[in-house]
Amino acid sequence: MKTINLSGLDMNYYVETLDNGLEIYMLPYDNKKNYFISFATRFGSEVIEFKDEKQISHKLPLGIAHFLEHKMFEQESGEDPFTFFSKSGTGCNASTSFDNTQYICYGNKKFEENLEYLISFVNDPYYTDSNVNKEKGIITEEINMYEDMPDIKLEMELRKNIFHKHPRRIDIAGTVEEINKITKEDLYNCYSNFYIPNNMFILIVGNFNKEKAVEIIKKKLDYKKKEQLPEIEQVEEKDEIKKSKTEITSNIEIPKLAYGLKIPTKNLKLDSVELDLYLNILTTILFGASSEFRERVRNEKIVNGIHTEWENLEDFRVFYLMASTKEPDKLEEEIKDEISNLSITESSFNRIKKVWIANEIRMIDNIDATVNNLYDDILKYGSIISDRIDKIKSMKLKILEELIKKIDFKNTSIVQMLPK
Amino acid sequence: MKYTKKDLGSFGLHLINTDKFKTITVKVIFHTPIQKEEITKRAVLTDVLLQSTEKYNSKRNLTIKAEDLYSAEIGTSNQRIGNYIFTSFILQTLTDDHTEKGNVEQSIEFLSEIIFHPDVEEKSFQKDKMDLAKYNTVVALSSIKEDATHYSIMRMAEAYDKTSPVSYRMTGYLEDLEKITENNLYETYQNMINNDYVDIFVVGDFDNKEMTSLIKKYFKFKKIKKEKESYYLNAKKPRKRRLFAKETIDNTQSKLAIACPISKMTDYERNYSLVLANLIFGGGSDSKLFKDVREKNSLCYTVYSLINKLDNLLVITAGIDKNNFNKTVDLITKNLNEMKKGHFTNEDIEIAKEFYHTSLEAIEENENAIISEYLFEEILGLDSIKERSEKMNKVKKQDITKVCKKITMDTVFLLEGVKNEDN
Repeated sequence: MKTINLSGLDMNYYVETLDNGLEIYMLPYDNKKNYFISFATRFGSEVIEFKDEKQISHKLPLGIAHFLEHKMFEQESGEDPFTFFSKSGTGCNASTSFDNTQYICYGNKKFEENLEYLISFVNDPYYTDSNVNKEKGIITEEINMYEDMPDIKLEMELRKNIFHKHPRRIDIAGTVEEINKITKEDLYNCYSNFYIPNNMFILIVGNFNKEKAVEIIKKKLDYKKKEQLPEIEQVEEKDEIKKSKTEITSNIEIPKLAYGLKIPTKNLKLDSVELDLYLNILTTILFGASSEFRERVRNEKIVNGIHTEWENLEDFRVFYLMASTKEPDKLEEEIKDEISNLSITESSFNRIKKVWIANEIRMIDNIDATVNNLYDDILKYGSIISDRIDKIKSMKLKILEELIKKIDFKNTSIVQMLPK
Repeated sequence: MKYTKKDLGSFGLHLINTDKFKTITVKVIFHTPIQKEEITKRAVLTDVLLQSTEKYNSKRNLTIKAEDLYSAEIGTSNQRIGNYIFTSFILQTLTDDHTEKGNVEQSIEFLSEIIFHPDVEEKSFQKDKMDLAKYNTVVALSSIKEDATHYSIMRMAEAYDKTSPVSYRMTGYLEDLEKITENNLYETYQNMINNDYVDIFVVGDFDNKEMTSLIKKYFKFKKIKKEKESYYLNAKKPRKRRLFAKETIDNTQSKLAIACPISKMTDYERNYSLVLANLIFGGGSDSKLFKDVREKNSLCYTVYSLINKLDNLLVITAGIDKNNFNKTVDLITKNLNEMKKGHFTNEDIEIAKEFYHTSLEAIEENENAIISEYLFEEILGLDSIKERSEKMNKVKKQDITKVCKKITMDTVFLLEGVKNEDN
């Protein structure tokens, strides 16, 4: 077991990798009662075609990763995992994203039994024609629910503008038509190819005994063999955005605007973690709570709340900005104006660094937030970043300025959502 | 965790010592009996107070000040709790150990600046700042249907009883917004500062004596206010026949929302039997509603019930296809009747109790949960965590069926999705 210090936070995390490739990440706390366990696979909605070990190609119905996640809760014994966890008052859930699926449980009792059960139920798929069909009604209503959420529709529309072929232009849950095609054979096929130890990891945070945790995981999973990872069909995605502007209508009263910036990363020459820090500080200074931009658009009564987010892909970074605004044209102009007249002061650069360091220290108090951050690290960078505070401290304005020169800030797309 | 209460005359100071956090949390709570026409004013007022102060003349300067205090966070909220409105200001800041000497004091001073030194001239707020806050309220009011579940519950409550505080919209009302001026908003502010009951909660690792003197130094209220109205709403008598109400929305999914008043509950039922009844019936992902309506009949993705014990109300909500409306309502009715007849197992009860114990134990892990705990112990005379844990263990099956018999499905509201249909 490897011990790694989280610098500046006075805590250690531990990593163990089984012979079959399964990774275990653990961050124990000595002053908390609760714990959180995630069992995850690097299989999400963006896998739409793959070749198995025999080089046979499989094209998948859209939304199958999410469908599989729902069906994981079906057990041959008939026992409902929710019921099992409820017996100790433990919460349980699962979620599917573009590039991963995770099964979680959290509580403050019976850690060992719950860890063992979480592994067991994700280990034992049980799909039948009838239980697969039954799920279609439930997932149809889930898709309909998201379909009625204007902010989600807006983001999906922007994704369609940004990506030519990349599956991130497709909704994670798929479509009603596609999920209705799913069969139990499809599910078993995805399960046997992607739910293999060397494509999975376990993350545990909170109140638990790390030696005991590893012992249980080994007992349950050591027998599994390393398998050949399936070859995921990679689509060739162009550097340029697909479409620069779209207007759509929806059942809303206040218009919405979404802005996206697509950045190909191959020539940026920064390591992935640093690149993300610099891109993030750039948009925080430009559009964050204490930015001049925010003050201006607020005072002109163009917009109050803004949601921003960065997305990591293998060869791209994409920035999303979304807001409700009575004046989408004016907001669009303001954003473009801000981007084309970039000016970053040393004082705002240093202030944001100070804020980020403080936030790292605060965040570690909160188990849920910590879990999310560590989980993101593992997916994005392949491991937990242990020296983030040092990295923030050593950020230099000059490097940001160099980076800015290499980015094409015109590679953007806009979606305006207007009332019907 | 150690709790100390100090009566400082014009307000109650509640100190909770815990070494679980690297931050200090301070929550200043103003509370007063709710009046419908005050809600919009409070929404605008809390927004305006965060736009600027005497010392920091813009939201940007305010935000920069908070960032300089090592990313101190300041927020406000307006909440209805039974018959009362709670207007809260909350500060969270890193302790001096993790920053520098004086950070906590400066942060508390900053919070008091926001509450006591608003950006006011000649007994009026600045018009431009107030207009910004009004604009934000307009946006919030106009976006109300975007969260269809929330909107359906709101409309259901209005159909249930539009004279009761249960139906009050905490986002506010457009007609009240138009009446707000920079001058009468200042009166609202004065009224809150001078006449509301005030409680201040502090959670974190600190010395009680030092913290008390810090709070005394920065928070001074003039009046001593003692008399209190009840927090509980009167239980409404259910209708003889169920009321069905409907509204259409340009959505794909329909939202079902049902109001179930609970008559003549005792305090014991309110705090114990009802909590378990709800967990078994529709409160969790192991509930009867989840298993039957979702898992067995595939009618929905979300279905759950929640209780508001101060309102004597149980609310059920589900996202469904409109063609399944009757079937869903029938299944919900069937499940509620089964609860009344005691058609649930001892294991169901044990699971619900376990769930409750876990949530009690989780309180001390979260600052907001800690504050709510002591607040409700104080204002509602709730038993302590330990007492609740013991009493909950003693709840019997007949206690649960007894309270279920007091629940009536009264108002059934459907927000009907009619997307892609001709009107």
